[in-house]
Amino acid sequence: MNMIETRNLTRKYGDITAVNNLSLAIGEGELFALLGVNGAGKTTTIRMLSCLSKPSSGEAFVDGHSCSAESKAVKQVIGLSPQDTAVADHLTVRENLEFMAAVYGYDKAEVKQRTDRIIEEFHLGEVVNQRAQTLSGGWKRKLSIAMALISDPKVLFLDEPTLGLDVLARRELWREIEKLKGKMTIVLTTHYMEEAEHLSDRIAIMIAGRIAAVGTLEEILTKGGADNLEDAFVAIAEANTDDYAGGNV
Amino acid sequence: MNRVLAFADRNRKEILRDPLSYIFCLAFPLAMLVVMTLVNASIPKESGMTVFRIDNLAVGIAVFGQTFVMLFTGLTVSKDRSGSFLVRMYATPMESSDFTLGYLLPMLIIALAQNLLIYLASLVISLITGPAINPLGLLVSLVTLIPSAVMFICIGLLFGTLFSEKAAPGLCSIIISLSSFVGCVWFDADHTGGVMLTICRVLPFYYCTRAGRSAIRLDFGMDTWVIPLLIVVLCAAALTAVSSLVFRSKMKADLS
Repeated sequence: MNMIETRNLTRKYGDITAVNNLSLAIGEGELFALLGVNGAGKTTTIRMLSCLSKPSSGEAFVDGHSCSAESKAVKQVIGLSPQDTAVADHLTVRENLEFMAAVYGYDKAEVKQRTDRIIEEFHLGEVVNQRAQTLSGGWKRKLSIAMALISDPKVLFLDEPTLGLDVLARRELWREIEKLKGKMTIVLTTHYMEEAEHLSDRIAIMIAGRIAAVGTLEEILTKGGADNLEDAFVAIAEANTDDYAGGNV
Repeated sequence: MNRVLAFADRNRKEILRDPLSYIFCLAFPLAMLVVMTLVNASIPKESGMTVFRIDNLAVGIAVFGQTFVMLFTGLTVSKDRSGSFLVRMYATPMESSDFTLGYLLPMLIIALAQNLLIYLASLVISLITGPAINPLGLLVSLVTLIPSAVMFICIGLLFGTLFSEKAAPGLCSIIISLSSFVGCVWFDADHTGGVMLTICRVLPFYYCTRAGRSAIRLDFGMDTWVIPLLIVVLCAAALTAVSSLVFRSKMKADLS
């Protein structure tokens, strides 16, 4: 069953087409990576799928609900960890998690139970009473993802989850994301090749608002005629940039 | 309602854990209360100037304090909007009314607590310097100033919604200066008369202090309490509606 489906999804900002005729199907429990350089349209795609932007044309469905017409229903089943960590700075780690749980309407006992569980699952115990503003970048990202997971979403959107993190913090976060694989559908945007390679079931390469290639790592390597993702990405990007030049970003 | 309370609790904590909010919302007004009491002691009685007499000063400082709550409302909203915090919240089931109520409620509680502390300090000062303030008058005045607090908070919400993190505090500072001046916190417009009194009467701030000062004296006259309070209530209601509509339309624009 497809958890996410887009049909000719397009988003224009004036003369600029940020996302162009995107048609995708992402299955239940799949970890799907949108790989592309800055300005490729990855974040715009995530924004449309999480009801934060309306498409200029085309349609997007999450869990069978239209992102345009049934945004309330979509918001009930998704979790979003934006590019900036977006946590409440003066609240402690626990308070941030409790706050997010309460926003989803759970009663006090449920809020506590969910918060305790996520603190344990994400090993947040050592910083649980620390205010978010005092956390390192890595801990903030972990907290941000934990906040997105507090409502047990069917779909988790991770927008550049390891951007700006050092290699150790990145690896630590990868381990946390790997644990989530299969439990929910995850859409992850990144411009780190090794991240897409390491974590994803399938990868979509976005160039200038369009999907230039989509498939498993092996399929992408075959399409790019390369033995590593970076070379395959460059080959696919160079082959497609000329085609897309003119109407897109 | 759960969502409103959760967001209100988050906003309350964000403000109360910022040391600057204590300096601006409490320490500064209390310091002004003491300073102006000392100034009042130096003013000859023959001058007939009563604006710094403790019963008048208490209300003036309470309204002055509310303007700093406006400043922090503007700061909180504009900061939330400029970062990605509200983006995350927009992707949850929260609706625009949850946000506006979530900002309004904690700020109102903070404004009430602030006014209560200013009035308690004024009561102590009045017992030392005389004339003693009637505690019942203080209580009635505290309630009378609730619409005024709502009005200032909604101005902060409006500025925070419309302007950036840098512009909103600047505009709030203009309102702080304007409201304390034409609101007759620092001078008595009724004794000044002329154009100045006309300007004061055109704006709602004058009626905030007028209603509060009448209440503290338990003077519930039509001209002194009822009409000024009614004007403030109407302004507060109008600003609540406008700020809610503006927030809703901005949210809609953000999500388009």
